[in-house]
Amino acid sequence: MNPALEKTWLLKNALEDSELASVLEAGFRVEIDPAVTSDLTIHDDFDADLWGADLMLCRVDKGRLKLLHGRDVVGEVRAPAKAKFWWDLPDGEVKDLLKKRIGLRAFMPIASLTLIDTPFALRNDDEKIVARGRISQSVVGDDSQYYLSLQELRGYRKEAQKARKLLKPLLDQDIPDFGLKAMLVRQCPETGQREAQKEVQLLPDMPTELAVRTMATGMIDHAVTHVDGIIADTDTVFLHQFRVSVRKLRSLISLLKKALPAQSVESVAPRLSGIAGKTSRLRDLDVFLLDKKHYQDMLPDSHAQGLDELYVQVEKQRQLEKNRLARYLASKQFQNDISDCRSELSETPAYLSPLSRKPIQGVARSLLIKRFRKIESMSAQLHADSDDEQVHDIRKEFKKLRYLIEFFIELLPKKRTARLLKNLKQLQVTLGDFNDYCVQIDFLSGFEDEAQIEMTKALSGLIAVLHIRQIESRRQVEAALARFFTKDMALQIELAFGTKNRGESR
Amino acid sequence: MKVIACYSMKGGVGKTATAVNLAYFAAKAGKRTLLIDLDPQGASSFYFRVKPSSKKWGERFFKAYKTLVKNIKASDFENLDVIPAHLSFRNFDSMLSDLKKRENRLKRLLKGFRKEYDLVILDCPPSISFLSESIFTASDVVLVPVIPTTLSERTFDQLVRFFQENKYPLKKIVPFFSMVQAQKSLHKSTMEAMSTRRKVFLKATVPYSSDIEKMGQHKAPVDLFARSTAANDSYRKLWDEISRKHL
Repeated sequence: MNPALEKTWLLKNALEDSELASVLEAGFRVEIDPAVTSDLTIHDDFDADLWGADLMLCRVDKGRLKLLHGRDVVGEVRAPAKAKFWWDLPDGEVKDLLKKRIGLRAFMPIASLTLIDTPFALRNDDEKIVARGRISQSVVGDDSQYYLSLQELRGYRKEAQKARKLLKPLLDQDIPDFGLKAMLVRQCPETGQREAQKEVQLLPDMPTELAVRTMATGMIDHAVTHVDGIIADTDTVFLHQFRVSVRKLRSLISLLKKALPAQSVESVAPRLSGIAGKTSRLRDLDVFLLDKKHYQDMLPDSHAQGLDELYVQVEKQRQLEKNRLARYLASKQFQNDISDCRSELSETPAYLSPLSRKPIQGVARSLLIKRFRKIESMSAQLHADSDDEQVHDIRKEFKKLRYLIEFFIELLPKKRTARLLKNLKQLQVTLGDFNDYCVQIDFLSGFEDEAQIEMTKALSGLIAVLHIRQIESRRQVEAALARFFTKDMALQIELAFGTKNRGESR
Repeated sequence: MKVIACYSMKGGVGKTATAVNLAYFAAKAGKRTLLIDLDPQGASSFYFRVKPSSKKWGERFFKAYKTLVKNIKASDFENLDVIPAHLSFRNFDSMLSDLKKRENRLKRLLKGFRKEYDLVILDCPPSISFLSESIFTASDVVLVPVIPTTLSERTFDQLVRFFQENKYPLKKIVPFFSMVQAQKSLHKSTMEAMSTRRKVFLKATVPYSSDIEKMGQHKAPVDLFARSTAANDSYRKLWDEISRKHL
């Protein structure tokens, strides 16, 4: 069934029902329905993921949320005022779509408007409805905008054209894709404009020190945008993103320390390390809480009570840890550390070392080749009886390699780099699994308490399962490395990042 | 997409009222519905206040899907479109007589709507003709209103025989009692006898009602002007039973 064709215009002025009727009465019998007023609060996550996907999540009243895709209603669900995650909603399409789009992010109010819709119908001499329309008044604060929508019904094109002609003197500009989004763009232009990580424009010939400083300050700014969300405990992604930014920044400074004055590195590195260290515990607790289902599935039902006790403990610790971190992030010490790092990194380049002046593209390529060869050699020395520490070192080096690629991706050949990243990600999954099991065992060991027998039994069960998985994943590490370090991979790396530049064309 | 033909060889048995009210309830239930008024008298188009274009497009009805699409009109109700009848539809039989594979013509034509609609309801003229053969082939359900009188019983038996002789699947025939006057003993006894003899009769029945007659006056389905009446309730129940058992 073809949807009715609808066009919308901004009206030049507010329009009374009587004015509308008198304009259209020349061609139709006009039926104007009573106006319907809706107070809408639009919700989105911090990254404006819903806005980006053309989705509008509106609170229509205290107990209900409605999700729209463009102009279509995806669904309406019961949702108490405190609901802020997809898992707070009843099963159905709305929940599924939010899960897909915002994941672990919380949705929160981003804008409010009052919509006053006045539908009308135009009838012909046979009393048949031949066109429908709607006056929409959108009110944000003291500002009102008026729109007129006209729907052409199937088989009644001429009538719609006639109505449009009669209405013409009242109409201002066309509003394509009219809907809530179009109204918000007009009246709340800042909606949906989340501060994304600033795109750093790197040029191949940029001196390395300048490039590093530009990227580093961008990373600090990005990290800082997440601080308020951590303090308010809006969702766990704020802390995760903050940590990713800080980790990348530390990696950048460590990998390219020779491009910066030594005293800058000495000032910034320990501060960043201190900041990162203070966030680790809360992240570990978050990860454990988010994986509850995963842990529940590991144990037989007989351990459910013990596991519940453990979760109570973890929840308590999280509460304390969250408050502690919030206090720290609001403290003078943190503010000073961050502002010192920013001012240190945003200084004008000093160009004290030969590397600092070199064009960034060449430096990046040479670092990538060097890092690849280093990991290749470390991996060659790994065998079945090697220390776990060796695996961890290799994992960290791979992470640095991945970060290096991501930092300079715009200066690298697209297709070859994309292929390499794909292989790299696969390998990192295996290395990451091994690391995760080690971290989880460490984390859980810290909760053992002989006074809580059931909880300790559950912990022992979990640790035993994780230990077996750790051994299994350790067995897979050498094979995964062998799959990665092939002759072809060495050639691909050489072609992508080598001095021959043959990779440029592909 | 399913196709229901409201059909009877006899006139004045409530075909059009059934087609109109069923189409209305189907659309209300969310089925994307197209009502095609095949009866040149155009009564169901009239009930929906839809007029055909002035062109004699009926001559191209079975030949050009695009022409058919162009003549679809929105009703006043969500999910319900109408192809109004045109006086030129009275020539359908002579048109079909000139066409090869005429029995499949309508079926092939309606296939074009399967993405756009969930349900097509055909309001058929009262005759046995090339057109009705085309209708029997195209429909999933041939919904037959039967007034519980001896004459109607005879007409219904003729239809069944026609199906048997021409090897149309008998299970397509879905009869129901229409214009029932419960106070008449003839109606009661005929209904009992017929529904015992033929188990296919639907449980829902439509009463003889002045509310149904008033559809012409209101130019609308009964639900719009006589919502809380037995007549309206009977169409709602008829739709429920058909959608449950046959769609």
